[in-house]
Amino acid sequence: MTVFLRLLILSISLSFFYFFYLYINEDKYYPGASFQTSNMPLFELEDLYSNKVITNFDIEEAYLINVWASWCITCRVEHGFLMKLSSQGIPIMGLNYKDDRNDAINWINKFGDPYKQIIHDIKGELALDMGVTGAPETFLVKDSQIIAHYRGEVNDMIWGDVFTPIINKENIFNAN
Amino acid sequence: MLIRLLLFLLLVASTNILGESLYQFQNTADEERFYSLIKEIRCPKCTSGSLASSNAPVSEDIKKKIIELINEDKTDDEIRLFLSDRFGIEVLYDPGLNRSTYILWIAPGLFLFIALLIFFFRRKA
Amino acid sequence: MFIEVAQFLTILATGLFFLCFVFSVIFNVNDLNIINLISRIYSHSFLLFLFSFLIYVWLAITDNFSVLYIAQHSNTNLPVFYKISSIWSAHEGSMYLWIIFLSLWGAIYNISSKNDEPLKARTIGIISITTVGFLLFLLLTSNPFETILPLPPENGADINPVLQDPLLAIHPPTLYLGYVGFVIAFGQALAFLIEGDSNINWEKQVRFWSIISWSFLTLGITLGSWWAYYELGWGGYWFWDPVENVALIPWLAATALIHSLSASSKSSILRIWTILLSILVFSLSLFGAFIVRSGIIDSVHSFANDPERGLYLLAFIGLLVMMSLILFSYRFALLVSNKRIISLSKESFISINNILFGTLIFSTMLGVMYPLIYEYIYDQKISVGAPFYNAIFVPITLLACLFLFSSIESKWQSKSVIAFFNNPTLASFIFSLLITFISFKLYSVSKLWTLASLFIGSLIIFRYILVIYSYIFHKKFVNVYSVLAHIGLGLLIISIALNNDFSSERALNIKINETEIYKDHEITFDNLQLIDGPNYESVRADFIIESQNGNKFSLNPEKRKYFARGQITTETAIHASILKDIYITIGDQLDDGSWIVNVQFNYFIRWIWFSAALMIISGLFLARTIKRARQ
Repeated sequence: MTVFLRLLILSISLSFFYFFYLYINEDKYYPGASFQTSNMPLFELEDLYSNKVITNFDIEEAYLINVWASWCITCRVEHGFLMKLSSQGIPIMGLNYKDDRNDAINWINKFGDPYKQIIHDIKGELALDMGVTGAPETFLVKDSQIIAHYRGEVNDMIWGDVFTPIINKENIFNAN
Repeated sequence: MLIRLLLFLLLVASTNILGESLYQFQNTADEERFYSLIKEIRCPKCTSGSLASSNAPVSEDIKKKIIELINEDKTDDEIRLFLSDRFGIEVLYDPGLNRSTYILWIAPGLFLFIALLIFFFRRKA
Repeated sequence: MFIEVAQFLTILATGLFFLCFVFSVIFNVNDLNIINLISRIYSHSFLLFLFSFLIYVWLAITDNFSVLYIAQHSNTNLPVFYKISSIWSAHEGSMYLWIIFLSLWGAIYNISSKNDEPLKARTIGIISITTVGFLLFLLLTSNPFETILPLPPENGADINPVLQDPLLAIHPPTLYLGYVGFVIAFGQALAFLIEGDSNINWEKQVRFWSIISWSFLTLGITLGSWWAYYELGWGGYWFWDPVENVALIPWLAATALIHSLSASSKSSILRIWTILLSILVFSLSLFGAFIVRSGIIDSVHSFANDPERGLYLLAFIGLLVMMSLILFSYRFALLVSNKRIISLSKESFISINNILFGTLIFSTMLGVMYPLIYEYIYDQKISVGAPFYNAIFVPITLLACLFLFSSIESKWQSKSVIAFFNNPTLASFIFSLLITFISFKLYSVSKLWTLASLFIGSLIIFRYILVIYSYIFHKKFVNVYSVLAHIGLGLLIISIALNNDFSSERALNIKINETEIYKDHEITFDNLQLIDGPNYESVRADFIIESQNGNKFSLNPEKRKYFARGQITTETAIHASILKDIYITIGDQLDDGSWIVNVQFNYFIRWIWFSAALMIISGLFLARTIKRARQ
């Protein structure tokens, strides 16, 4: 009996250390990336330019949603890459997060518009429903399902490591 | 002096444009529920910490939403579900009782039981 | 130049410590000359190492920014006190301090134990090799001696303003002193196992060192809690954050150890527990260091993320712990006592205590590990926090306290009948019932767990007060400090429960010159001003509080912006009294010019600090009584 207990103590300790060894060596994906699928929330918000109300749109089968604001400094850094994506034909919806309408429009006029359409989420309601914690964040949506969510600035590296695999797997955006 | 004060205030003010963040409750029980809930909801933006200990903008937003839900007579469980649907189950400090967490909740009692068993068993032998 | 001297001395000390270990292995440890030699070499190694640290402190005080670490964490504008405390504000420096304390305990043990003490040489050997392992870690992966040459910066970086706090500055040293003090128990336990002579009574001495270390550990944890309470602004003192938990786990094991030691030092009963716990406490302390420094856990506490460091620590600690446990397993027969544990003897109660504490250790460890394991398997994050830990700790702690109460009458190695109807037990029961009933009726305490905690805490306090009574008037011998420490425990249970039950808060929406009423107190927003601090700018709000009985005082919370990093912090304002703290923080300003102000009434919080202080001071005085008995 005591032999059993002693072996138990030894084997538990050993597996304990072994687990940590495995855990430390594990190739960690980007901590800001999440691939939990969820439904794209329903919403009714205004377009940034007109007062036209938008609800969930089915204009594309798959698209990106990029959360941005004129007060967000990192968004300015990310912007160049978004312009590049947009020029490659990737459909990006803008979610203007808790931003003054005029500030946002001026920002776009100054730096350029990579977005097919921009939702003016002034209170951050849609953002809250999507689990947004700040800007910039980018979502990949297919068939009204959020299939990828990245918190932070998207650039060549992140696009390649985080988004490209799932884009290829889901076979969306055709080329690329 | 006044200008400096105003500039400073601009800096510390939250990104709260509409300024309607009043913590209004229908009764004290609801108020207590709120303060109790925010201690067990994780701040999604912070490295660690509850909503109670965070004044990040998104924490403030979530707190206001919780107040809204409480005032709509939602139960605590409904509020937790609402938040975990949007921010992931990791936003709840109470991992809940389900298939993958049974072992967490049962193991301590099991450990105690087995240890006591061994203790009394060895004494009889 | 001096930094190279410090580094050289450290390397030299590493070599000499290693020599101590080698000598303790290859030479006859029962030869007085050998013991003498090892003891002397150890003393010299320690002095060299200490000297290197003193040089380092000197370099920090004199703003020597050619040292990379000092440049990263200190600054000419800091007061001297914070220049020194900046040394342990990050990984490399705090590791340095950790090892200094490790070898310090070894040195103190070395000096105060006589050379004819049978296990001395081996104990020093084990302490030495542990020190060597950490020194290699320091020198190879976390070198505090790195320099920025040929052009050192003019000034260092500003340290995190949050760290410029006296309490927070002494929290790590007291904590480390606590953790590494248990290396003596660890070394002695292993030395005992290696030596193989069951007649050696090592427990008495180890109990002395362990109780002192326990006191420091309790102090360190309490200081951390206290700091969190007044600094972080949410009014709580314990969050069950993973890093808090890995600090608590060794404390639980240490508490079990000191109780187990008191049984083992009287007779060789419970040696299995005592040896296992001696190994466990130190191992768990090392495990805590590993968790915090490897970057595995995300926490505001954790130091920089570095897998390489994590792997080294894991390997070293793994080696140390596994070898100790294998030794324990191998020498198990040595520990089995021919004496039975008699039912209802003090030893039996201590056994139960060990089991209960073991459950708490297991549960806390499980709570910390679960998110890691879950994430590893399911690739998904999960959080385990206060709801889980409270659900486990409250019932088990109360159960342990009930056993404590039942054990007060018990005797060593003899059965005692728990005479329920003897006067002190019955009296305590009645008093406690009375207190609980009064709280229920007069103060509307209605939550079940609060009432249970009140009742059980009172049981302990009253029963022990009666013990002191019989000590004074009937000359019935008892260790007064042990009694005081346990009264402290009873008080702690009650304080935590009442604090949880009565405390409340509200977010007031208030404009300047307005008054709001909360809990029969009038709170007037008197003034708002801009203050220039030494390295910050702040907005200070002045509130005048008037209580129902005319008591008037002011509270001045602030929001600060530090120049160096642009960091914004909220400073709480606290009005403390015996019954409660009134606690205010400023929130955001709204468009209509009003402010959100958080007002909290934290009841019995001072009682919590008082209870902890009682336990700490009793522990230190208790240790002194052991020493006296030994001589």
